[in-house]
Formats: sequence, C-alpha cells, structure tokens
Amino acid sequence: MIYKWRRLGENSLFLAPSIILTLTLGIYPLFWMLRYMFYDYAGYGEALFIGLDNFSRLLRDGLFWESVRNTFVFAGGKLLLTLPLSLLLAVILNGKLRGVSLLRGIYFMPTVISTAVISVVFYNIFNSYNGMVNTVLMKLHLVSAPVDWLGPKHAMLTVIIVAVWGAVGNYMLLFLAGLQSIPQDLYESAAIDGANAGRRFWNITLPMLAPVAQMVIMLAIIASLKGYESIMVITEGGPIGKTEVMYLYLYKLLFPVSTGSPVAQQLGYGSAVGFASAVIVGAVTGLYFFFSRKMNKVY
Amino acid sequence: MNEHVISKQPAGLKQSVPREPGGHAGRIAARTVMWLFLLATALLTLFPLLMTLTGSLKTGAEMMTGGSLFPAKMQFANYAEAWKQANFARYTWNSAFMSVMVTIGTLLVASMAAYVVDRREFPGKRIYVTVQASMMFISVGAIVLRPQFDLMVALHLNTTLWGVILILVSAHSSTFFMLQGFFKAIPRELDEAAMVDGSGFIRTFFRIILPLLTPGLGVAGLFAFRHSWNEYILPLVFTMTNPKLQTLTVGLANLRYGSSAAMQIHLMMAGACLSILPMLLAYILANKTFIQVTAGSVKG
Repeated sequence: MIYKWRRLGENSLFLAPSIILTLTLGIYPLFWMLRYMFYDYAGYGEALFIGLDNFSRLLRDGLFWESVRNTFVFAGGKLLLTLPLSLLLAVILNGKLRGVSLLRGIYFMPTVISTAVISVVFYNIFNSYNGMVNTVLMKLHLVSAPVDWLGPKHAMLTVIIVAVWGAVGNYMLLFLAGLQSIPQDLYESAAIDGANAGRRFWNITLPMLAPVAQMVIMLAIIASLKGYESIMVITEGGPIGKTEVMYLYLYKLLFPVSTGSPVAQQLGYGSAVGFASAVIVGAVTGLYFFFSRKMNKVY
Repeated sequence: MNEHVISKQPAGLKQSVPREPGGHAGRIAARTVMWLFLLATALLTLFPLLMTLTGSLKTGAEMMTGGSLFPAKMQFANYAEAWKQANFARYTWNSAFMSVMVTIGTLLVASMAAYVVDRREFPGKRIYVTVQASMMFISVGAIVLRPQFDLMVALHLNTTLWGVILILVSAHSSTFFMLQGFFKAIPRELDEAAMVDGSGFIRTFFRIILPLLTPGLGVAGLFAFRHSWNEYILPLVFTMTNPKLQTLTVGLANLRYGSSAAMQIHLMMAGACLSILPMLLAYILANKTFIQVTAGSVKG
C-alpha cells in the first residue's frame, strides 16, 4: 500500500511541471478566448457581455474578409510554388549524385534562420531604390526602371517569394524522408520490366509517396495559413492592406501599439476573430483531409 | 541508378531492357539541365545570406547607392558599431540567456514527463498524452498571448525575460514526444536493476537514465534552442514597454524604425550576421543531426 502511494507520488512529482505549465499557459488561454469572444472588452476597464454581437460584427467586417482572401492568395501562392519545387528537389537528391549532402545542407539552411531576421534582410534586398534585386535586374537589363517590390502591385508576390525561400528546404527534407522509405527493389524490377524513368515516377514513386505526401501537404497548408511573422516584418500588412493576412489582422487588434496601427485595442472582438480564424484553418484542413483520404491507401 | 542494376543482369537479359529515350546525347542534355536547376536553386538559396554578409561589410553610403555585390573596402568596424551603438551586445545577451534557459527548462520538464509516461502506468495517462498531442495542433494565433501576458503580470514576471521563458517552456509537447521515442530505446532492465540495488526513483532518473539519454537530449536541446533563438512575436510583445529586454530578433526588426533607418542598413546587415551566425555555426556542425531528425519526424 505504501509502495503504491509512493509510486503515485513519484509519478505526480515528475508530471507536475508539465501539467501545470500546459494547464496555465496552454489550455487556460483557450478558455479565456472562448469566454471573451462574447464580451465587449478593450483590454482595460470593464468587460461587457454582448452575446453574439462580435460575430455579427465579424460578418460585416470587410477588412477581416479582405484579410481572409489575402490569406488564401498568400497560402495558395506559397504552396503552389513550394510543394512542386521541394518534391522535384527531393526526387533529384534521392538519386546518387555527387555533392548530394552538400546540396541538402544548403537547401535546408534557411529553416535554421530566424524568420524575423531574414525578413529584415529581404526587406532591404527588395528595397526599390537601392535593393540588390533591382540592382541585379537592371544590370542584366531585365528591367529598365527599378521595380517597386514593396508597393501595392508586387508586395504580395514579394512576401510569397520570401515565404517560399524559407519553406522549400523543409518540405524537400520531409519528401526525401518519404522517398527513402520506398523499397529499392520495386524500382529494380520495374526497370527490368521495361518501365522508363517517367513511368517509374508515375507508377511507383507517386503512389508509394502518397501517405507521406498527404501528411506533409497538410502540415504545409496549416503552416501557410497561419504564418504572418515575415509579412509583419516586411510589409506590416501594407501597402493599403494588400498583404494583410488573417492572423496579422488578429495580431493588430490585440497589440495595436507595436505595429503603429490606428486600430484601437479590442480583445473581445479579437477573440472572436481568433476563433473564426482557427475555425477557417480547421475547416480547410478538414476538407483537405477528407478529399485526400485516398492517398492514405497504397495497396 | 538503374544502369548499375542492369549491369548485374546476365547478358541475355540486358537486351530486353529498352533504353531511355533520347540515347546518349539526350541523357547528357538532361543531366546538364538538372545540374543547372540544382545550382540555380542553391544559388538563390544562398543569395540573401551572401547579401547579408557582403552588406555587413559595406559603408552606409555604399548600401544607399546599391552598387556592386562586393564592398569596395571591407568595413569590419560595422560590427563594432552594431555591437556598441545599436546595442547588439545587450540583444545578444538577452537572446542567449532566454534560449539557454528555455532549452534547459524544456528538456527538464519534457524528459521527466516522458520518462514517467514511458515507464509507468497511471490513471489519466491517455488523457495526458492526447492533450500533449493536441497542443501541437491547436493554434489560435496571437490570441493566447494576451491571457499569457496577464498571467505573467499577476506573477510579476512581465518585467524580466522569465515570463517569456516560462511560456516557451510550456510549449514542450514536441520535445516530449521526441524524448519519449529516445526513452523507448533505453532498456527497462537498467532502471529496474538500479532500483533493486536501492537507488530511489528520482536518483535513478537523474544519475542513471538521463546520462544515457545524452544524445537524445542533445538533439532535442538543439531544436528547443533553435526555436527560442528564432522566436520573434513573443519577446516582441513582452518587451514593448521594456526595450532593455529585447532579443536579437526584436532589436534587429526594430532598427527599421530608427530615426535614421535608411542610413543604418549596413548596421542592420551586421546585426543580422551577428544573430544568424551562431545558429548557422551550430547547423553546420550538427548538419547531419538536424537533417536526420527533421526527416524522421514525418514518419509515424
């Protein structure tokens, strides 16, 4: 009996730090949000219960829906470039090539660098008057005048390029791990049966990679719908809201001071926006999971 | 890859394998295109880093006019200036302090929990594991920052970096799962034998099991360190009213708003180098580990 209590005590002691931290800093904030989305609360002063008013305001909030649209443009553009590129790199680097590990090392390098810091660098590189991108393009006579990369017309493209730069190496590595788990003898027997490289890719690589790809693509979708750090540093959602994404919009409602945004701090409404954003990400992920479920079955 | 295989086949079989279309010349062309593609992507990947490095050695005026990629004359003084004038000494100290503490805290909290979960049965074990797993996926963005911030204010931890450290340690679920995998590889007989020999539970864990886990702790620690070193939004929120606590990421990004920001691009680049270099160095040294662990995380 004493033995049993002692075991229980030891277990609790070892789990306590993890449980306390998870409850207070992980789970409590979620309930906090669920509560305040029904309140009119500025972050100071009194919170006033207003029922579903925050949500009816959300439906009429053009800025929010604009940011949702931008989120999908950003995530779509990023995924459309990142996924094929990283898959292509993974397939090439899966073969026996000279310098494979060096190339892998180089492609993966961006993922160890802080997004915020590299965004500062890109901010300067894409500068319209003295940025290196324009200098290079002008020297190569590809453009005649400096391109305003951070202006309303190209800002979205610029933040997508930066996001792709930071993400390709990561997904390349995940695809590569999937590729390496495909048994080699499948390729060997296919080659003997006379299947060329294209057929082998189409009939072996793609179906065998499908379960891994399903997971990787899901992670990529979630990450690109949620990412706002680099946009915050490069354009702060501007110019004229052209790169304002969902989670950045949310951030500005909660901490307007740090971005110099003219919006007043609104925690109650922010909670509703946060909830809606999480639901949107969840819905997209769920839909993707539903439509990609066939990818899970290889045989 | 297939040539190698085919050559092992008897001569008669070789004839039955159709050649790749295009023949010899086609294959060389394909290889050239592939290598051009690989080199171009590698170059594009390295370009911003190269820009940072060369930019950090230029004069302010040189940065302003654009000019060539390489500096006319190396300005190593930029680093001294960034270190002193732009306060990078302070930022580096804050970043290092925060990251080291977060790494130690995360490893301690996660390894203790992972040990108990791996070795023992207890009521609520499944609930605990499920909650930890879902913590990796739930995200409502910046919204959790506010209640976290309020909690730290209540605990009077908002004026130090300890608040940020605690919050980062609280997000230990991925480290927990990583370490749980490593614990599985340590035979249970070891701790049982130690306990039979009279070593208590806590003593066994710290004296016998943890030292055996060193490689696993190293890998998990590397990831925890990278994560906190690169963290931006959390320290940004916490140091808004307390510039003395800013980390490298925050301090650097804030330089953009400096009164003479345009004149300071060379300092920004030097600062960027200062904040990138430690991580890059760790990466180059532990390249294999990084790549293997990241690649392993997709399985299962």
